Parts: sequence; structure tokens; C-alpha cells
Amino acid sequence: MELGPILIFKELLKLFTPIVLFHVFWSTFLGMIIGMLPGLTATMGIALLTGLTFGMEPRMAIIILICVYVGAITGGSRSAILLNIPGTPANAAACLDGFPLAQRGEGGQAIGLAATASFIGTVFGLFCMAFFTPFLGKIALEFYSYEFFWLAIFGVIICGNLTAPTDPLKGWIAGFFGLLVSLVGMEGITAYSRFSFGFEQMRGGFALIPVLVGMYGIAEVLGGMRETILPKVRSKVGRIIPRIRDLLDHYRHILRSGVIGVIVGAIPGVGEDVASWVSYDFAKRASKKPEMFGKGSLEGLIAAETGDNACIGGAIIPVLSLAVPGSAPAAVLLAAMWLHGVRPGPLLMLEFPNYIWEVTAMMIMASFASLVVSLSFVRAQVKILLVPRYILMPIVFVLCVIGSYAINVRVFDIWVMMAFGVIGYVMRKYNYPAAPLVLGVILGDMADVNLRRALIRAAGDVSPFFTRPISLILIILIILTMISRTKLFKSVLSLASMKAKKIFRK
Amino acid sequence: MYELRRQDFYTGLIIIVISLFVMVESWRMPRHIQDWAAYAAPGMVTGLLGLGFLVMGIILTIRSTRREGAPLAFKGSDISAYLSDPKTHHLGLMFALSIIYCLFLGRRLPYTVVTTIYLFTVMLVFRDPGPIKFFAIFKFLIISFATAAGVAFVFNRLFLVPLP
Repeated sequence: MELGPILIFKELLKLFTPIVLFHVFWSTFLGMIIGMLPGLTATMGIALLTGLTFGMEPRMAIIILICVYVGAITGGSRSAILLNIPGTPANAAACLDGFPLAQRGEGGQAIGLAATASFIGTVFGLFCMAFFTPFLGKIALEFYSYEFFWLAIFGVIICGNLTAPTDPLKGWIAGFFGLLVSLVGMEGITAYSRFSFGFEQMRGGFALIPVLVGMYGIAEVLGGMRETILPKVRSKVGRIIPRIRDLLDHYRHILRSGVIGVIVGAIPGVGEDVASWVSYDFAKRASKKPEMFGKGSLEGLIAAETGDNACIGGAIIPVLSLAVPGSAPAAVLLAAMWLHGVRPGPLLMLEFPNYIWEVTAMMIMASFASLVVSLSFVRAQVKILLVPRYILMPIVFVLCVIGSYAINVRVFDIWVMMAFGVIGYVMRKYNYPAAPLVLGVILGDMADVNLRRALIRAAGDVSPFFTRPISLILIILIILTMISRTKLFKSVLSLASMKAKKIFRK
Repeated sequence: MYELRRQDFYTGLIIIVISLFVMVESWRMPRHIQDWAAYAAPGMVTGLLGLGFLVMGIILTIRSTRREGAPLAFKGSDISAYLSDPKTHHLGLMFALSIIYCLFLGRRLPYTVVTTIYLFTVMLVFRDPGPIKFFAIFKFLIISFATAAGVAFVFNRLFLVPLP
């Protein structure tokens, strides 16, 4: 049996062809532009490209999507630094220190450092992905229907808890709504058509890509066209290539943020924005100069950018091992893998033994392409930020329409996309996060089929749902997640920590 | 934050209505398909989810009534202020143009023509304020046509996907 690194190297060699390199570079560049432009997110970019690359060879399509993912998360820091507007939600934390640096005339240095930190974060994340996915895959083989049911519920609950900006209840509502949406159409056990109301098109249910394009693309287009004032780039770019010393001085922040990014990424549905903020917060607590955070601290910028990019690898870990996405862009990637005939999940290592190494090799190529592209043509890329929104947004809309239509060649999917665009816009306006809904749409079938299958197998006995060890762990996690943001839990926790401190002082 | 109370109250009511509908529909689904017991019924999970959704809707509604903020009832001035906001006009116009575009797709007009007209119209309507310049109109037309023709070429000729 060959070792993982050798298999990754073999996969890399297979990918080193002129046509693959061509696709890698243009898609990374495109991803970077999507990430840079406020209003276009990584999720939207991948969802769009899923439709656009549908006719391509599977391996080529997936590498393009991975490059867009990595490029978008890296590129989003550009507008955060130069405009104080995050290109993607993942780069919001980069605004805090990136923009003050740009105002001091150090925009180029900030861009260079952000790009390099992103590269290190991506590489750290992809190696964690290659190392941990087979282990998690082995654990996942112990999962039965009972555990898969609880896993689906846990995914929606924790995602709702961590992505709702103000109120976890709204996150859970979004998640449950997503679960309900996924159950429209013919179900997998008795082939009964649910909530289709006699419409032939509804019997097939809602396809995932039109729902995703609507939630992230159309909602963004409508929101973007509603705003009337456009930002302008004011800063000079200057020197871009970062100094090695700046990176070596902050190796602790890089390492810590990498670990945080991977852990946050592996939590279902949470994603890069949370990883970035948590990394930033930890860096501030650990810093010798916390007062500089928010005023142009290199530590803050490096921590935020390492964290969100390390999250990419982390988010792909549950995709490959459990078929549960760790972030919204990873959810689209999962859907794209399904579309191209790959079935991620516990059986992936048996059905496609080399797929993890193949994805790792693709990520390595994407991360290097991202570093090269992000450190070159910076001035030209920044000019794209000047494209008026009234030109960009209708073009994005046209691409959303054709991308949704192309998957099944159904006009019905265009209307599904429009409907979810409106829902996504309204949800955003009223502080309901989109990520739990998307996760719910993906996990709904898992929850439905596994609950009913388990009950059929156990002849209606519900006790295994509560007595099997992994089920029990998941139930405890669900309860802890639900009560973790209540006042009672917080006061009990602070009381316990105070008592623990007293014991240790004695 | 002032508006949050009102928003939550009405959203909560909508959620309650949707969840009741889901639960009723789930109950009406067949419960003994292929001689299996009721726990295998297709409405089992949808019913449970509907119940969970109902609980959340009730919590949201009750919580909003206790919260400080805007009065729950809408006044005529609230609605007229919203309708006269230029941002609302922008949103409504973009949405209307997009719906019209989708309605025309798949009809008699070719995809490239419909898409060019849509793109050109949106660019023209949402352009920067000021007098219209001939060069700007020409630029919008070129961008619109190039985009429409490019998308049509890539999908129809390269990916062999029939256009709507």
C-alpha cells in the first residue's frame, strides 16, 4: 500500500498538463475577480461556474471550481484593503487592519501580506484535509441511519447557531426551512410525491444549483442594484511582494489561525467568515500590542487571512468523509461532485480510493496559482474594482439564469432560482442567514431517509436513537449548541469558571 | 433595531401559517403505503419538521410582542415612506426587468436578442445620473451584445446546451 504523500505526488504529476494549467490559471484569476468585487461571493462564483462547466470533463470541472473557491477567498481581501468593503463575507475581518494600512499608503504591502498569508493558510488547510479525511472517513463507516439522522440535525443547528448575526433562533428557522424545501417532490422510500400540488415539474423537487444560485446570486444582484452610491479606490498600491521577516515574525499567529481555520471549517455549514473572525479575535488576545488591532496591525491582517483560507481545506474534510459541507462554497462543491458522478461520504474511500489525493493535488495547484496570480497584475486587477455596478450586475444576472438553466435544460429551474433569489434577499434584509438554509437543503434527504429507514429496521423502536454511543454524543452536542447562547447557560458557565479559578488558587 | 420587533412579529405569524400548512398536508399524506407502519409514512419527517417550525414561529412571535421597539401595527406613513424611497424604486425596477426577461426567454425571440435587449435596458436605466451621451449608449450596446453572443456561443456551440 502506497503512502499518502506519494499518491498526492502521482496525482499532481497527472494534473501537470498544459490544458489543466491553463484552466487552473484562468479559473483562479476569475475567482480572484469574483472575490474582489463586492457583491460577488465565493459561493455565488462556484454556483455559477458549476452550471457553466457542467458540460466539461468531471476532473476538469472540479479543479476549476476549487480554483475559483481558493481564488475568491484570497481575492476578497483586495477590496477589503483598498475600499474597506469585504469582497466576500470571509474577508470582513481583513477590513479592520487592511484599510488603515492602505490609508497610510501601505496598501501594496497589505495586499502582498494578505496574499501570502492566504497561501500559507490554504496549504495548511489542504494538508490537514489530506491527513484527517481518511480518519474521519473510517469513523464515518461506524455511522448507521440513527447517527446520520442526528448528524443532519446537528449540522443545521450548529450552522444556524454560528452564522446568525444576532439571533440563533433565526439561524435555526432558516435551517428548518431548508430541510422542508429539500423534502418537496418524490421521496426515496415509497416514491410518494410530497408538496408538488399536481405540478409535474415539482415532482422532481427543487434542484440544488438553482436554489443556491438564487440564494447567493440573485439576492446579491437585487441587493447590489438597490444601492445607489458606489465606492471608489483611493489608495496607492505601492510595493507588493512581502518581506520574509514580516511573515517569520508572525509565525505563531499563522500557525494558530491555521488550526482555528481548519477546526471551524470542519464544523458543518459554518464557513470562512466565522473562521476569519475567530482567528482575528484569538490573535488580538495573544498579541503583545492588542491596542494596534483595528489601526493597521499586520498581526490582525495575517491572522484573518490565514484563518479564512485554512478553512477551505477544513470545510472539504466533512464534504469528502461525511457528505456534509463545512461551508456554503463547500456545499456547492459537494453538489458539483454529485453532478459529476462522484459520491462523497463514508463510502468514498471504497468507491473512489484515490479521490482524496486527487482533490489534495487540485488544492495544491489552486493554492500556488492563487499566490502567483495574487502577487502579479495587481494594479490591473484593482482597475476591475472600478467597473460600475450597473454594468456588472445585469451580466451576473444573465450568467445566473443560464447557469441554472443549463444543468437540467428546464425553464422551471429559472423560476426556482428567481423565487429563491427573492427569499434570499428578504432573509438577508431581516437578519436570517442563508448558510443554514443551504445546508438544510443538502441534509434534508439525509434526515428524512435515515429516520424512516432506521424506524423500519428497528420495527418502530426509537431507543437506538438515544442509546447508541455516537447518537448520544450528537444529541449532547445538539443540546449544548442550543443552550450555549442562552443567558442561563452563560451565567452558569461564568459561575463554574470562577469556582474553578478559586480552587486552583488554593 | 427599532424595526426588529415589527419584522419579527410578522415573520413569526408567516412561519406559524406555513408550519400549520405543512403539518396538515403531512397528516393528509398516506400513512400505510406498502403495508408499512405509520412511521415509514412520507409525511412523518415533514410533520415533525412542521412541528419544530411551529414552535420556532410561536417563540419568535411571542418574543417580539415583549420586545421594545416600533408599534406592531403598520401606519399609512410607514408604507408611503417605504414606497417613496429611491432604493425601493431601484429594487422594484430591477426585479420587474428581470422578471420580464425571464418571461421572454424560451419564446419566439432568439436568446441573443432577448439578452441584448435586457442588458442594454438595465445599463441604460441604472446608469450614472446626468444627460445621456451617445458614446455611453454605444458602449452599453456593444457590451450587451458581446455578453449575449459570448454566452450563447459558449453554451450552444462549446457545451452543446440548447438555449432557452
